[in-house]
Amino acid sequence: MPTPFVRAAALGGIAALALLATGCATSVNTVSRAEAQATPNYVNDQRVITDSTLGRKLAIVSVNDGKVSGDLLRVQVTLENRSSKPQAFTYKFDWISQDGMELSGPTGGWKQVQLQGREVRAVSAIATNPSAVDFRLKLREN
Amino acid sequence: MKLALAATTAAAALLFTGCASKNAKYVDSQGPETIVSLDRINIQDWNAAADKLVAKLLASNVLERAPELPAVMAISRIRNNTAVQVDTDNLTKKIRVALLETGKVVTTTTLGADGKVEDAMAAEVGSMQAFMAGEKQKTVLPYYTLSGKLLDDSVKSGNTRQVTYTFQLSLTTTKDGLAVWEGEEQITKQGQRSTVGW
Repeated sequence: MPTPFVRAAALGGIAALALLATGCATSVNTVSRAEAQATPNYVNDQRVITDSTLGRKLAIVSVNDGKVSGDLLRVQVTLENRSSKPQAFTYKFDWISQDGMELSGPTGGWKQVQLQGREVRAVSAIATNPSAVDFRLKLREN
Repeated sequence: MKLALAATTAAAALLFTGCASKNAKYVDSQGPETIVSLDRINIQDWNAAADKLVAKLLASNVLERAPELPAVMAISRIRNNTAVQVDTDNLTKKIRVALLETGKVVTTTTLGADGKVEDAMAAEVGSMQAFMAGEKQKTVLPYYTLSGKLLDDSVKSGNTRQVTYTFQLSLTTTKDGLAVWEGEEQITKQGQRSTVGW
């Protein structure tokens, strides 16, 4: 018959094992309006996956665009961390003109985004060149 | 035995260094292979801060409200309240170039904070041209001024250091002195020592 001390020690051990197994993972719970009022302009996108591990960890939920300051293209890509652990990713937007030329600008280098476990977050960018009509988002794992 | 030890040591060294070469090489200034340090604002920090502040300014649509486009902007004082000596042009130049590219703002280089003119020659030649033509020199006054401040906050827990750099900017219309847009961007870095890549 185990003593109360032994039982407590066993329970503590099980709890510690459970904590180790989950790796102290904390994921994000969210709440939002059941019927969204926003009416985003969704973009039909094509995806090229060269890193299948990244593809499994990071989901692209949606892509939408719009114009700001009159004539500047703004693109927003909503990402979801499929892991229950925090993850850091880097991303970069490229801008493309009507004639298919990639536009270089003073801004627009690689940036880091850190997502908590199961977090959904949007990354966005604005083309500083009014002649940008298309974009390309590059994503990589840190 | 000695050979085995040497091989093990070499393998361990390779593991620790990854496959990094000690020879100098070029890396993308805007890429993730740049060095991250805790005691200074790195090139990627300037890039990220400028990029995000420009995006916030453009998204605010405030530039569209100027009576004439492109609106003239002058760079006012950017105070450096950090512990490190920096050239604030690292921030303002990127913002100026980006805003110029939008076609909504041009920056005057013949007017500056505290009478410090960026392009003294342009100011002198303009004055000379007006004198030669027997006219009064026309100075295009800025519609906007851009001012700001850099701040830092450093804390330590055990061997881990954390530093936060804050980049604050205000866009003011000169006719009434009102800040029509204000933006702030923070970059926090944590660690024990500088690293290559992020």
